[in-house]
Amino acid sequence: MDEKVKEEASKDNYRQEPKVGVYVCHCGGNISDIIDVKAVAAALAKYPGVTVAREYAFMCSSNGQDLITEDIKTLGVNRTVVAACSPSLHELTFRGVLQRAGVNPYLHEHVNIREQASWVHKLDKAGATAKAIKLAQAGVEKVLRKDALNAIRVAAEQRVAVIGGGAAGMKAALAAAGKGLEAVILEKTPRLGGKLPELGKMYPSGEEGAAVAKKLEDLVLAEKKITVHTGAEIDFVSGFVGNFKINFKKPDGSSAQVKAGAIVMATGYEHYKPYKGEFGYGEDGTVLTLPAFTALMKKLPAGRLEYGGREIKSLTLIHCVGSRQVEGVHKPQADGKINDYCSRVCCTAALHAANQLKEKYPGVRVYDVYRDIRAYGMKHEEYYDKASKDGVLFMRHNELDQPVVVSDRTGHTVKVKDVLTWGEELEFKTDLLVLVTGMTPADISLIKSQLKLPSGADRFLQEVHPKLRPVELANSGIFVAGAAQYPMDSTEVMASAGTAAAKAAILLAEPDIPLEPFVAVVDEHKCTGCGLCPPECSYDGALMMGEHNGKKVAVVNPALCKGCGACVAVCPTRAINVAGWTLEQFDAMVDAIAKE
Amino acid sequence: MTQKKILIITTNHSSYPGADAVGQARMAYGANTYIIRVPDPVMFPEDFYLRAYEKGIAGIIIMSSGSDCPYEGAYERLSKRVARVYEQMRAKGIASNRLKLTTICTVCRAAFLKEISEMEKAVTAV
Repeated sequence: MDEKVKEEASKDNYRQEPKVGVYVCHCGGNISDIIDVKAVAAALAKYPGVTVAREYAFMCSSNGQDLITEDIKTLGVNRTVVAACSPSLHELTFRGVLQRAGVNPYLHEHVNIREQASWVHKLDKAGATAKAIKLAQAGVEKVLRKDALNAIRVAAEQRVAVIGGGAAGMKAALAAAGKGLEAVILEKTPRLGGKLPELGKMYPSGEEGAAVAKKLEDLVLAEKKITVHTGAEIDFVSGFVGNFKINFKKPDGSSAQVKAGAIVMATGYEHYKPYKGEFGYGEDGTVLTLPAFTALMKKLPAGRLEYGGREIKSLTLIHCVGSRQVEGVHKPQADGKINDYCSRVCCTAALHAANQLKEKYPGVRVYDVYRDIRAYGMKHEEYYDKASKDGVLFMRHNELDQPVVVSDRTGHTVKVKDVLTWGEELEFKTDLLVLVTGMTPADISLIKSQLKLPSGADRFLQEVHPKLRPVELANSGIFVAGAAQYPMDSTEVMASAGTAAAKAAILLAEPDIPLEPFVAVVDEHKCTGCGLCPPECSYDGALMMGEHNGKKVAVVNPALCKGCGACVAVCPTRAINVAGWTLEQFDAMVDAIAKE
Repeated sequence: MTQKKILIITTNHSSYPGADAVGQARMAYGANTYIIRVPDPVMFPEDFYLRAYEKGIAGIIIMSSGSDCPYEGAYERLSKRVARVYEQMRAKGIASNRLKLTTICTVCRAAFLKEISEMEKAVTAV
């Protein structure tokens, strides 16, 4: 549909008698398990101005959207209220439905009865239902007073800033450059590669991590669209979608700034560091973490495993160190929280390491002490099978019966209450202990606080929705790539980084980004030319007094107006409003909510 | 029994996503709360609040973006306006604890619940 058609459709809708269609979503059971959606639809069907009210399992599905399209065609519905999930997820979906059906997309009101009703009032089903009715009625009152609007477009920097130069950052930059975008990698350490070079042979390809890092780095450095800043210490990040500014210090102490239309957070992870004494860690040189052991194995010759000047005849892997921690059992982290999440990748990493060990040192006895084996990736179960066949001895404990390690000069004694032998208490000696440590989020507190980036209870960055808006953060124009989001292996990191870059490329596909047309508008008939509003405006040139048809009136420059509404509050005649957010609408909403 | 309704004014950029975050974490609060979202509460004149009380709203929490407000000078203007609303509330005999100006960020879940809990106590006397 071209601009001209959209404009005509807007005007027609504006002139038509308002006919509101109300659609109440079950969201599977997310809403309907708590809220009586039939009662909500029934109440709204009788509400003044409403032509039709329906409830449906998934309004966002194509069948749900078709219901609205059909009502627009057959019943003449020209304004919609959808009571469903947060508008951050689906407001644009339903605006699109209206637009495709020839109705101005801004004649839609999205009412949140999931995040702000069913999910927070689980113990009060009647209250939640009554609230949903009131919110939907307020939505009707608002949409009845809405005007047709057309989107404003703002110029955007055609550049993506990638924070982090590890596997995710390099892949994201390469993918963005492949889409024609400029990409700037800001890496805090002196080199690219992140943790890849530390890894030994990586599953499933068997390539060395350092070799993969080198390949990626070569591609990045050869790509003219990519600029790399290593040793970049970010000190201030600001701006908004299309116009972010990232200030950083270079290694020589000078300051620099990158302007970008989108940001990809590829800030990676840290290995969990066991505390001193955790299974003997830090007290004895023969207690290592899995990353440290992997690095060691790379250096040592095959045949006879020696470490610390003595032969290692037996080795024990202990899983879930720093992951799936249990309140009251494990020592909390510095912030007082435990790491109760599963780090996912460490089981396969441990099995892969055990197999490599058995190949290189067939004579070494390997014990694997685990709580659960989560070999979740494609063909990862084969690593478990191979380890079993090669004689790795598995022992399984439950969450409350953690293995106990007692160390002395002769080695370590490991005690396990083994679930596989119906709770038998097993005790065995081992020369080397390898703690299969989990992943923790990297410290990006400065950027998080400056941009207000959301994180989950696990402290990793949190995407808006795993299915509907993967890798998108709630902050428009900011995407997450790789293990900054949650523990993932390198194959998943690559997929995630490619997705983030693709989303940034879609956002910046055109030189300007469509923004909501929510700027101040003046009703010249009501404006008395009193001049109270311009002093309230903080943006030079956005609001001035002018003359129109021989009358002194307030004049808005929509390209400069930010739509804050500071001018609205001081107008004695309510002649100025923010388009789409008028005082008349809010008064009517309050009336609907307050009414008994 | 008449429900003591609390109107919560949130911002598109900050406190509305903050309210969503509370839901995503499946935290609970009372169903007498009604959240509306605006670009910025600075748009509301003093009489908007007084009219809401007249209509039967028991308490109003303005959850602004505070110092994170993307609009230049808006928070300062809002603070001054709310001070004037308090004066007008006093003149009309409306308890000042029925209005609260606070700052809620996109991830301020605990603060969001605390503000509701405090307003619940304030409106019991209404």
